[in-house]
Amino acid sequence: MMWKEKYKIGVDLIDQQHEELFRRVSEFTRIIRSEENWDARIDKVKETMAFMKDYVVDHFNEEEAYQAKINYPELEAHKKAHASFKEGIENYVKIFEEEGFNEDRIQEFGGKLMTWLIMHVAGMDQKIGEYVKSKGGQIQ
Amino acid sequence: MKAEYINSFYKAAKDVFQLMVDIEPQRGELKLVENLCNNKDANIELGVVGDLKGKILFSFPKDMTLEMVKILSGMEMDKIDNFASSALGEMANIIGGNALTLLSQYNYTCDIVPPQIYIGEYKPNSIGNDKALQLPLLTPIGEFDITILLKENK
Repeated sequence: MMWKEKYKIGVDLIDQQHEELFRRVSEFTRIIRSEENWDARIDKVKETMAFMKDYVVDHFNEEEAYQAKINYPELEAHKKAHASFKEGIENYVKIFEEEGFNEDRIQEFGGKLMTWLIMHVAGMDQKIGEYVKSKGGQIQ
Repeated sequence: MKAEYINSFYKAAKDVFQLMVDIEPQRGELKLVENLCNNKDANIELGVVGDLKGKILFSFPKDMTLEMVKILSGMEMDKIDNFASSALGEMANIIGGNALTLLSQYNYTCDIVPPQIYIGEYKPNSIGNDKALQLPLLTPIGEFDITILLKENK
């Protein structure tokens, strides 16, 4: 999963966090796709899941705080999209708690997580950058 | 079936493909087909409920599916496993959600039922006389179809 320069929205804090999210999801994807024995990978999968859950929440909170600061007109719609992204992750966390870290389910989660992240950053988040530009430049 | 249904799904598919895999699909020739069916390798069925009721079927050849997931993940794929089918299903889900947002501009309020993924030929689970519209979309990595079977429910 590749981070692309075109994903940058021109706000340093958000761009750095997006890049870190891509790095982590990419690492997660590499681990779950590796040919190594599943039992040997499971600890790394659990560790990445725990990190992702917290980091995604922190990132979304900071992104929403930034949007509020700049009076971003689509803040409410963006909050809903974040809530649905978080709900998607939490649903899988619950499944893993109930069913254990089943490899098929982790693969299914990995495919969705990758798609959600690319779509959110390449799509919805770009509008924040467009708004900032329309207001005359970077507001940190 | 109205042109706005087709146009909304085409625009949504074009935008999502451009954003996610840097590919702009071109419209092929629209066909009228008997019911929802397709013999391509990976099929994703989305249910639609609300002012419009019916189903949408996204159908992809195997090589195109693997190439798309490779572009998304940056990793080689040799089979449509849970990871690949889940990513493909989610892309179709996003296209469907965006198409329904576009249709809301024509005063249709609808929701999507979560995607069902079928690997292998898709056959409808009920025999009906319904006609569906099949829109082929052409890309440099292969041709896929969106088949639309929607009825007004107002």
